[in-house]
Amino acid sequence: MAPYTNIPLSPAELSYLHTSLAQDPPIRPDGRSPTQFRPLVAETDILPSANGSARICFADGTEAVVGVKAEVERTGRKGGLVRGKEDGEVEGEERGEDGWLDVSIEIPGTRDDDALPVFLAAMLTEALLADGELKGRLVIGRVWHWRLFVDILLLSQPLSYPLPLLSLTTHLALLSTRLPALISQKDEDPLFNDDWEASTHLFPRQPTTNEPETKPPITLLVMTVGTNILFDPSSDEIAVADAIVAISATEDSKDGGLKMVALRTVDPPSRLTSAGVPTQANTTAGGGLSAEETLKLREKDAGATVWRPPRGGVSRTVLGRMIKKVVEKGGVGEEVLEGLRGVKS
Amino acid sequence: MSGPNIALPGQILGASSSNELGSGTHLHNDQLCASISGPILTSKPSNSSKTSKAPKLSISRTTGNLLPEVGTTILGKITRTNPRQANISILALGPTGEHVCRDPFPAIIRQQDIRATEIDKVKVAESFRVGDVVRAVVISLGDERSYYLSTAKNELGVVMAVSEWGNQMVPVSWREFMDESTGAREARKVAKPV
Amino acid sequence: MAMLADRRRMNAPPGGTSPPVFASLPEAKLTKPIRTRNPDEHRKIFLRTGVVPSASGSAYYEISPSNTPRQTLVPSSSSLKITCTVHGPRPLPRNAAFSSNLLLTTHVKFAPFATRQRRGYVRDSSERDLGVHLETALRGVVIGDRWPKSGCEVVITVLEGEEDGWWADAEEGGKAGSWGMMNVLAGCITVASAAIADAGVDCVDLVSGGVAALTAERNGEGVLDPCPSEHDIKAACVVGYLQSRDEVTEMWMKGDAGSGSEALIDNAVKAAVLTRTVLAEAVKEATEMKIGKTSEAAVETTNTGKGKTKDIQMTG
Repeated sequence: MAPYTNIPLSPAELSYLHTSLAQDPPIRPDGRSPTQFRPLVAETDILPSANGSARICFADGTEAVVGVKAEVERTGRKGGLVRGKEDGEVEGEERGEDGWLDVSIEIPGTRDDDALPVFLAAMLTEALLADGELKGRLVIGRVWHWRLFVDILLLSQPLSYPLPLLSLTTHLALLSTRLPALISQKDEDPLFNDDWEASTHLFPRQPTTNEPETKPPITLLVMTVGTNILFDPSSDEIAVADAIVAISATEDSKDGGLKMVALRTVDPPSRLTSAGVPTQANTTAGGGLSAEETLKLREKDAGATVWRPPRGGVSRTVLGRMIKKVVEKGGVGEEVLEGLRGVKS
Repeated sequence: MSGPNIALPGQILGASSSNELGSGTHLHNDQLCASISGPILTSKPSNSSKTSKAPKLSISRTTGNLLPEVGTTILGKITRTNPRQANISILALGPTGEHVCRDPFPAIIRQQDIRATEIDKVKVAESFRVGDVVRAVVISLGDERSYYLSTAKNELGVVMAVSEWGNQMVPVSWREFMDESTGAREARKVAKPV
Repeated sequence: MAMLADRRRMNAPPGGTSPPVFASLPEAKLTKPIRTRNPDEHRKIFLRTGVVPSASGSAYYEISPSNTPRQTLVPSSSSLKITCTVHGPRPLPRNAAFSSNLLLTTHVKFAPFATRQRRGYVRDSSERDLGVHLETALRGVVIGDRWPKSGCEVVITVLEGEEDGWWADAEEGGKAGSWGMMNVLAGCITVASAAIADAGVDCVDLVSGGVAALTAERNGEGVLDPCPSEHDIKAACVVGYLQSRDEVTEMWMKGDAGSGSEALIDNAVKAAVLTRTVLAEAVKEATEMKIGKTSEAAVETTNTGKGKTKDIQMTG
């Protein structure tokens, strides 16, 4: 992440925001409840030349387009040890490889080797690969496999941390992704049916209801202020976060509930905000304290009267509560998935 | 080894109510904690301060001070001058340069901070020349680039200077250095030798 | 993510080489290495600070390799060797904006010879990703507002990286999950914390890294400090843990932990507590050494160098 946060808020504003978000119940600047998401517009299957695509537009004007392209690639050897037969054939079921999924993110205003796109791409990739089912579906035969490119395009500079936007768009795009049907035999050079109707969904659907049997994971951004847990934080709210966590959850095929597949802490930009100056230490108001006394004042104040960037990390119990809020029955994760179900192409 | 009591970062030193906060420590949940590793120093409360009776706990920094702060006396070298200010590189911290900085810190001495009296008549060119070694005190962290320094005290100012002929000079008055081999005198804001 | 080409070097055409494939001889029985430690036992760690005199702070971290005699060309399990240097606090570059806090930047790089498959000189996405993780772990620890207008650079070189699985499994699509990265990250956190303490930067606590995993063997039992070649890992978790505050500055969990996620986190914290004993000991010895050096120097008025610490080894 960029070392300089472009937070246009003064220490006084930060302190005000932090205090109101730490209330019970928290008062968010836009009046949402802690678990409420910002409204969004979504559509899928919008790009004719992609295997699957989606677009999501947030109310603040940020918009993401995701295109999923599948291409055929020859399975290369990975080195290692050949056991059993001489000709190198390996017994058993074919497993996919992590490298077959390629997520790349384009954010205006950042270079593609900046930390932010790399971090976001890694986070989305590991969530998608966590259960190993997706990459298994990319196997065509022993010699050939699909290589899946998920290209995420943010159309404008993100106003808040773009992770939820990207994750939800990717989720929808992957749900709509279809792979052409194979005509040739498994290990021959692959030939495909060009009939779009005959193609199969990457995430298989039930023939009767056309509902997907499994779904790609979603990644939600959760932040804490004090003991409060807030979902889908806006950029102002992130500026005063004590801790930010990105949690990826997917449907558990066993009991229909949700399970967590990945979790990462995100560096809150609040750590780089500048602290306020206590009144007694204000030199223009006739203070004139030494550096040591000022330090002592700031330390004693500890963010009570003026803003001070948060220190330390997040406690385990709060982390546990955050995970629970996402994956529990009737929790936020299910609510989001339910909302996304309504999106039609 | 001389240090029987070594604190590590995060180590709790005592309740904040019964101990006064010193350097190298911080507060967490009403507890005074160490923030660097080093020996714990306890100093008795001075009689003059009536506000606090508690002993002050601080941790001495084994690496020495790392950054100039407001009030730090520094040694530096003048890098360029113009009529309004003199640019200087901070090379060492402390009145006699106890801690040598790994990287020079850029700083400036503004015209009005050169001496304490008649500050409107000061001329930078008659106070500093490029290459002079100056003792000064930090008065502000300054802007994004430079610290602001002041030499407005008797013991602050040029401590070492080289004449136009390249010879080492000695201070002869509060405003002049002399080249001993040629006898030429040059104007400087001279630091009182200590 | 395609590896970026290094513009300063002559690059070979991409994809021209592949690692060798070995055929096992019938008489050489190769078996996957088995964990001989207890599930809650950490491998031995070596940690020493003050190894690079020209840096403000530095540390070296090593997980000792297993002593089993080597039968094959490729060692059966990997170990971890990491060096870390801290430069700073030092003034920001000329064009930088004013910052009232310490700007901490991290730079993680694998040496080209660190892993079985050669790494390029340009940082690839996984190395950048590790850098971001490390930055998150350290930013929460450093008291940034005490160091206005300054930057601090944490440079980590991984001399030997943990592998992602048993090398012989690679052909069967086994190198999945990049689990080795998690061990590398935990090592990076610990070594960086030692180096920062060595540099004398104010921190709220020492941060130590710990890894725990849920494995497919032995009924999905949780293990501390998993060596990826010894296990079939289902889910793993790294934490950067502040023991005296009982807080976590960095957590990275992935895989299908199901309902065991909480236990996994607790196990990772346990591993971090174990590493912390080594970390605290190393920092303490280094400090004692420095105090000794400075008092000597005061007598002899000689220049003080960085103190060499004794070797610290931990068992259990």
